[in-house]
Amino acid sequence: MSLLKPFSRRPALNTATILLVEREEEFQQRLAEVLVEETAVTLNVRLAKSLPLPFENQHSRPRIDLVVFIVNLTSELSLQSARASLKYLDPGYFLGKVCFMATNARNAAVPQERLDTLRGLAASLRCTLLFAEDQTADGATNASERLLTILKVAAGLVPMTTALYLSNLTMCTVPSNTNEVDFD
Amino acid sequence: MEAMQYLSESPDSINSSSNDQPVSNRNLNRSQRIAEKEKRKNEAEDPFVAAVKYFSDVEAGTPVMGNDVFEGNLVVVEKVAYAEGLPPDAISVMLEFAMSLRMGTSLCPRVLKCLIPATVVPQDAVVRAVAWLGVSKIPISTQVLFIKWVLTVFDMIDAKDQLRAIYGFIFSFVTEENLCPFICHLLYLLTTKQNVRVFRIRKLLDLQDRLGKQPFLLHLLSLYKVFCPELVTLSVPSRMKRGFRNHNSPWKSALAFVQKKNSAAIAPSAGVTLTIKDQSNRRKRKHCHLELPVLTCALNKESQAELSSNRKLVPLAHLRSFAELLENMHRIELPAQMGSLLSTSVALHYLDCVQEESALLRLNFWLGYTLREEFLFCRDGGATQNSDEALQFLNRLLCAHQFLQEGFSSSEGFLYKFLTVWDGCLMRPQILGLLSNIPVVPSYKMGQLLLEPLKQLYFTSSPFFKCGLLECLNGMLRNWLTWHSVYALEDNMDISISSHTSIYMTLSGLKDSVSQLVQFVDHLAVVGLQLESCHSLLLNFILDFYETVCDMFLKYGLPLVVLPSPGVFYPALLATDPVSVDRLAYIMHRYKVNLAFAKSQLKITEAFRISRQTFSDFNHYVVDMVNFLWNAKAFQSGVNVQLDEGILQRSKVPECSTSFDLVYHPAFMSYAIDFHHKCWPERKELDLSSIKHVKPWSWYVEYLFSQGYDGLELFKRTNINRWQPVKGDKEDSGTMQL
Repeated sequence: MSLLKPFSRRPALNTATILLVEREEEFQQRLAEVLVEETAVTLNVRLAKSLPLPFENQHSRPRIDLVVFIVNLTSELSLQSARASLKYLDPGYFLGKVCFMATNARNAAVPQERLDTLRGLAASLRCTLLFAEDQTADGATNASERLLTILKVAAGLVPMTTALYLSNLTMCTVPSNTNEVDFD
Repeated sequence: MEAMQYLSESPDSINSSSNDQPVSNRNLNRSQRIAEKEKRKNEAEDPFVAAVKYFSDVEAGTPVMGNDVFEGNLVVVEKVAYAEGLPPDAISVMLEFAMSLRMGTSLCPRVLKCLIPATVVPQDAVVRAVAWLGVSKIPISTQVLFIKWVLTVFDMIDAKDQLRAIYGFIFSFVTEENLCPFICHLLYLLTTKQNVRVFRIRKLLDLQDRLGKQPFLLHLLSLYKVFCPELVTLSVPSRMKRGFRNHNSPWKSALAFVQKKNSAAIAPSAGVTLTIKDQSNRRKRKHCHLELPVLTCALNKESQAELSSNRKLVPLAHLRSFAELLENMHRIELPAQMGSLLSTSVALHYLDCVQEESALLRLNFWLGYTLREEFLFCRDGGATQNSDEALQFLNRLLCAHQFLQEGFSSSEGFLYKFLTVWDGCLMRPQILGLLSNIPVVPSYKMGQLLLEPLKQLYFTSSPFFKCGLLECLNGMLRNWLTWHSVYALEDNMDISISSHTSIYMTLSGLKDSVSQLVQFVDHLAVVGLQLESCHSLLLNFILDFYETVCDMFLKYGLPLVVLPSPGVFYPALLATDPVSVDRLAYIMHRYKVNLAFAKSQLKITEAFRISRQTFSDFNHYVVDMVNFLWNAKAFQSGVNVQLDEGILQRSKVPECSTSFDLVYHPAFMSYAIDFHHKCWPERKELDLSSIKHVKPWSWYVEYLFSQGYDGLELFKRTNINRWQPVKGDKEDSGTMQL
């Protein structure tokens, strides 16, 4: 089992690399297209269906600064696949270099339990959980902007801050009572 | 559900009411008689009229089998029904014919299926048909079909008052297992506060024990709970399955076809002038919740005329002006669809001043349901979410909020849910606008409901989202403070934010909430400035927020003074744009005025105690500010920014202590150079230090003030006692003593 390690390579100057992992391989493609339009930094976008990554490219693969698991909430498999992939990551990644992105959270077909499970998973790993509107172009643009914000920090391009610091601020929390929030 | 397409009053009813009026003119009378004769002649020829007449007169027990006359007539009626819909009187006749089972039970479904109204359905017909449910032996499947039909045409029934009057009778059908889901739906549409009774709740709970947690029962019970929370103790799950399905399948396509065909003819007569809704771009959707229904009256003209004599109710739709509203305030008949209230200003005025809660309860229930269905549990996964319709709906809601100067509790609940799944972009202006209108949140649940999701959004988003959110929180704080200043009672210092939202909060509770909000924004501001490397725009939004905060005591009467963190103060003081420094000076000036006022109040009463720490922090800030800007002694007082001498030397900046005074400050240096040119135009060499002599310095400061830096001027006036800026002479900063 080959672990993906965050510090196995030296960082390149003004370069950031993001790995988008999505079982369905739908949204990642569109996200990647928007992401590569970024001009301020040299941005590498790597796509994968699941982890572990194939052994062959290991030497040519740049250092990956941020791993994003895209979870389509309408499919249980999507969540299971992301969960199964997690164990191929070096623990060092969980210091702010992993985040989850949920799509379809507002769909009526999504059972509340699945969203809760994902929230619990992200919270237990102290990761950020982002929500994205994958159906619209605006949604994809916005999602990529937010990923870039995190990526720049994770790649060390923002002075005075670190990935761990940012993830401490943004990490997902599980509300004590999700279902019966009392509004009165 | 409530917001199904609503047809306006039929032209027929208007005609008939005008026929009732006595016409004195003889000629007119004659011409009318001729017209009448003509009409009768036409009727005799018209097979449809004849067919309807046949069904109204047909004897009970007439055989169906082999009855060609009957078959022919029914075919005629069906043809008209599917082509252009049936007029109200034909609906009455056919419904009566079917439900009375004059020709047996087998025909009933066939007749019901062709009952497609062209305009409206007379209420009397429906009431009579419901009565038939009780007396005749109609098969259950046909009963179900009938109720489904009522649900389908519910919004076309011309009035609901008599239907509401037989609420109890309709309720008695819930025990019938097959009818129950549909009866529940009908009751759900009819329920008013008076209908919610303990025995009905008990019956529904019994049913729930027997049938399990059925969504239709839950929906009805949750509506009861909205009306009478004290009677229904059941906990309703926040996420219910869609309770009532659309039952209109047998009629849907035919109805849509007929409506489409007739809409052109009806639209001009739908003359509710106050509505804002654009009639032309009306679009039929599968579940068109987001369309605000047109405000129509629940009573038609005839029944209104007869009712006005005994009950004296005035439909809201008939009121045109605020003056009329005032006259009829005590006898308003609410429209059948509460959503329509949002679209007219008269209705909003009514909501604002009405004391009775049922209007708001109904509106809240409808709104909560609509928002949840449309934005939280969308059927298509949100593909159509950015549609104009959704935007228009939220904008309308936002307008209503701003008009009432408060939010609806249902939209508050919706926002808390929505924030946890929001991507930060979808309908951002609307969502942030609604958010800034939410009523005061008690501090113990503010963190989880509001601050936690906002924090996660804020730190992962662009600086522009950050600015937007800060503006929104600033608006929220301003609203809370305004409510406090308006509603705070003198003696027990309670805040009771209007009778509707029923928020009662003690002064200390409000102070807790406000200080928690301010601290939260402070945290966002400090870390945001750090992450965005002191983004100027962001800094300005932060200073906007503090302009509200610094005046809480004097402007809004809330005895609370919260100072900004050093993480906000110093970035603003050392900012590269003069506007930020000037605004900070203004804010510090206002703090000084507020604190001085608090101190003077303290002598009178002990209630306004401001902590000693606040005074001491304020003094440190003022001393630092004066030392930085006026005394050229940056980094020397050293309470908040303690810099090691060695580090300052290693920076190799000569005389770094002077580098932030008004001459060398990066924000003001261009002014210093400009001033230098104006003061000594003959000089070739730039010598900024010459500004620091007594005379030029005072001129220079005056020059700065004349450039519009009022904040600095005010700050100087309130905080600096004497200023003789000879080098080495210390300026006295007017610190506060306790």
